[in-house]
Amino acid sequence: MTALAALWLALGPATAQTGSVQDLLQDQGDLIEQSSRRTIQPAIDAIVASGLERVQPVLQAWQNKALWRDAEGRFWRVIERDGAEILVDVDTGEETGPANTDAMEQIKPNSGIRALIGTALVQFQLTDPEPRRRREALVSITRDPEPELLAPLRASIETEEDADLRARKIRLERLLTMRFGTAEAERVSAIEALSTDTAVEVRAALNPLLATRLEVVPAGATPEGNVARALSPGGERLSMGAAYARLVEEGLAPARPDNSDIRAALEANREAGRVGGVPLGALGDPAVRARAYDALAARGTVPPRVEDGDVEAALGAHDFFGVYVEPSSAVTDAARAAITSIGLRVGAMKGVDIGLDALSLASIYFLAAIGLAVTFGVMGVINMAHGEFIMMGAYTAYLVQQIVPDRTLSLIAALPAAFVVTFAAGVAMERLVIRHLYHRPLETLLATFGISIALQQLAKIIFGTQARPLTAPDWLGGAWILNDVVGISYIRIAIFVLALMFLGFFLFLMKRTRLGLETRAVTQNPGMAGSVGIDPGRVNMLTFGLGSGIAGIAGVAIGLYAKVTSEMGADYIVQSFMTVVVGGVGNIWGTLAGAAMIGGLQKGIEVLNPSNTLAAQTYMIVAVIIFIQFRPRGIIALRGRAAGD
Amino acid sequence: MTGSFLKRNPSVPIMLGALLLVTFLVSILSEAAGGGLSTSFVKTLGMTLCLALAALAMDLVWGYAGILSLGNIAFFALGGYMIGMWLMTARTENIVAESLAGSVIPPTPAEIRDAVGGQIFGVVGSSDFPPIWSLSSSLWAQLALVVLVPSLLALVFGWLAFRSRVTGVYLSILTQAMTLALALYLFQNDSGLRGNNGLSGLQNLPGQGDVPQAQVALWFLWGSAVALGLGYVLCAWVVSGKFGAILRGIRDNEARVRFLGYPVEGFKLAVFTLSAAITGIAGALYYPQAGIVNPAEMMPIASIYLAVWVAIGGRGRLYGAVIGAIVVSLVSSFFTSGQLPDLDLGPLRIVWVDWWLVFLGLSFVAVTLFAPRGLGGLVDLWTHRRRPSRHGADLGPDRGSFREEEAEA
Repeated sequence: MTALAALWLALGPATAQTGSVQDLLQDQGDLIEQSSRRTIQPAIDAIVASGLERVQPVLQAWQNKALWRDAEGRFWRVIERDGAEILVDVDTGEETGPANTDAMEQIKPNSGIRALIGTALVQFQLTDPEPRRRREALVSITRDPEPELLAPLRASIETEEDADLRARKIRLERLLTMRFGTAEAERVSAIEALSTDTAVEVRAALNPLLATRLEVVPAGATPEGNVARALSPGGERLSMGAAYARLVEEGLAPARPDNSDIRAALEANREAGRVGGVPLGALGDPAVRARAYDALAARGTVPPRVEDGDVEAALGAHDFFGVYVEPSSAVTDAARAAITSIGLRVGAMKGVDIGLDALSLASIYFLAAIGLAVTFGVMGVINMAHGEFIMMGAYTAYLVQQIVPDRTLSLIAALPAAFVVTFAAGVAMERLVIRHLYHRPLETLLATFGISIALQQLAKIIFGTQARPLTAPDWLGGAWILNDVVGISYIRIAIFVLALMFLGFFLFLMKRTRLGLETRAVTQNPGMAGSVGIDPGRVNMLTFGLGSGIAGIAGVAIGLYAKVTSEMGADYIVQSFMTVVVGGVGNIWGTLAGAAMIGGLQKGIEVLNPSNTLAAQTYMIVAVIIFIQFRPRGIIALRGRAAGD
Repeated sequence: MTGSFLKRNPSVPIMLGALLLVTFLVSILSEAAGGGLSTSFVKTLGMTLCLALAALAMDLVWGYAGILSLGNIAFFALGGYMIGMWLMTARTENIVAESLAGSVIPPTPAEIRDAVGGQIFGVVGSSDFPPIWSLSSSLWAQLALVVLVPSLLALVFGWLAFRSRVTGVYLSILTQAMTLALALYLFQNDSGLRGNNGLSGLQNLPGQGDVPQAQVALWFLWGSAVALGLGYVLCAWVVSGKFGAILRGIRDNEARVRFLGYPVEGFKLAVFTLSAAITGIAGALYYPQAGIVNPAEMMPIASIYLAVWVAIGGRGRLYGAVIGAIVVSLVSSFFTSGQLPDLDLGPLRIVWVDWWLVFLGLSFVAVTLFAPRGLGGLVDLWTHRRRPSRHGADLGPDRGSFREEEAEA
């Protein structure tokens, strides 16, 4: 293999030679026809080393079993077109006419040879004029690195003009050097150069360098080789069982029959209802069973039992070490340092990524809760059907999408449609039910819960139980990917922007409009507000409708991000209420803080146990319950008369 | 507050008598006694009595102490889990012992334990007993846990909530959050309670494989009736004395009771814990009849059903809770049984199994709006009980307090 590399370096790709490919193939004809993996390498080397221009298509043809030899022994490429087979000259690449393959012999390389040809071909691809082919070659090397690819890769860096490809080639060269380089210094410097690179393939390539094997030596001795660490059996890295199994493997301790072995041995050696002098019926007792087996062992029919004490003695008589498979300690030291440094960087980036995740989760909670911040926070109405308004908004968007096929247009139409539908539903609910229940919060809770059950079931009857797709337009489809670690989908960014817009809208509405002023007045003192000419009934109706309408729009956003089902509202209702309660009732900044805290907590807990989002939600809720102990009125508590009591 | 216990609680003998009568009639008409009542109906009846007991406990905290706890369903399910652990372990032990008995070499206790673990936890990819199952082979220990686990949860949670003076709807939302947290926790496979599979096969009593289900159903009906009867007497006794008077005081005006020098938190904690214990017992009797308990039982929608029953029956009166639970759950099982023919209204086809929930939700709104005293209000009409005329004034200044239209005499 190194012969090929040496040849390559000596001749270089540019040293075009005179002579024909046919002659070259004839020289190696016997080897080619012999088609044996063990003997073919010189032939491939010679063909590649010729540096002839037409070598590449010939190699490709050979690899694809499209190289044929005619009766006179000349080589031809055969291509198939529209079912006809056509002869192609190996030197000129011209089509010379239909092929009579019956009279010809096909060269059939086996899979081993095809792989060798593939390796040889990569060198051509690395210098291919087409950047796309060069990129493909890099991908193929990354996927399947081989020592012999190092030399052609190095040679191709010089002539690479594309800056991006050049950087990738340099990184790949370092990766290969790190693994296959011959000189220690060269490998160490490649590792050091990579120690700031957080790409997945770098991390994947560094870890095998630190692979260890378990070595056993008599107590007090040190093993040969590049020792990583001493291991104590029963410790974190080496279990007692594994350590003893290793001793058995080395022939340093007798094998330990486990319970099922003992059982099988007893079963195999029973005679006339007894085994080892013990009646079979008594073997349910572990001590009796041990006695019976020991009797068998004393007779030599079965290997003796190994007691726990023996295991400990055997383990104590030996020391265990983890020894690097890689013999060079300089390389392993450098790799360890690089992994630590990369780990720190990846950790920091993961922090950023989790921050983004938490931000987007917080935006979703904020969106789900902002309607509640109006109805519950400002008006003090407990609306358990709030989640069903979210669901209605999402189903409205789904219906709009059925009518308007264009995704972008349908999304633009869905937002006001969802608002109108849920606004109307909210107003109707306020007029019919909630109006009669002001200042009876527990009754409101129960009545709205009844409505929530009814609406949920209605949606189930109308739309069925399976999830309905609400597809985002294509420009919202992808993700913004910063590097291998940090990335966020556009839809989450859009939800974040939408949440910000709602925050602005809410602030504007409450602080700058007539309706907001009247709402605040009615909330603080309905009697006084009424006496200065505000109609509390009308204001309550509009405010409630507004809160419901916002929930509808939130439903469109949540429907894009998650699935549209009849239960989607119920999934958010508890979290939404907690967001408002934790943040502090009656204050939009509180809701924002609550959403940030709940989203952040959930993602933060997920870091500790990434595979388990259910557990994260559980602990998040527990944390919120405990938090309320310390700040029962939420993060931002209203004071004085505005607090309402 | 004078007179004998029965005189102060005329509903107790009526309730006990009715319970006795129904149980007796069902027993002689049941399949086990050669009658015509199907086993599934007897089971439904037994389960309904358990639900009535849970509703009774709900009424105790909500109707009398003003704590709308949405966490009671969690106590209910926990009771079921605790008894389910014993039922599963004991029954699987029997099965495993039976299947291993045929082998040449009798199994050791450790081998049986391993095989049982593999049987029970195979569905969640494990075969070891988690630590919380360490008492599961002892019936008495698990029976004690049926009461202790819900009570302890209520005690800790209530202590945290009441001492920081979380009241009214905030408390409701907090208890709802607690239920959700518990459900989500139990949904995990590594929670040790078989994740979303829950505990199943609970209808088969260990060691009673020869007894037909008809007989088992009858046993549970008797057990549930006894539990409901005892629970009713206990609740009536609790609310009829001085303790009950203070509870009602807390409900109507917590601050006033506190200023009178009563330790409000202690009273609330005591009644909340008692309610949890009763609910746990109800759950422990319910789930062996239902056959399966899983975390889906305590999703948010379930926790409010308890409140629905109490509200429809009429809260603040014990018989109201019992009537509400029995009526709603029997009507509910009637509508969802699929026996009722569909109603054809031209373009709309009412399939009762689907539409029942819609009507339940709406009827709930209607009860809240038009009949805040629930079905129990009918009893007032019959006994000519009058409500005091306060011309619309509160009984107290607290927002959550009763208003005239819902106040009792």
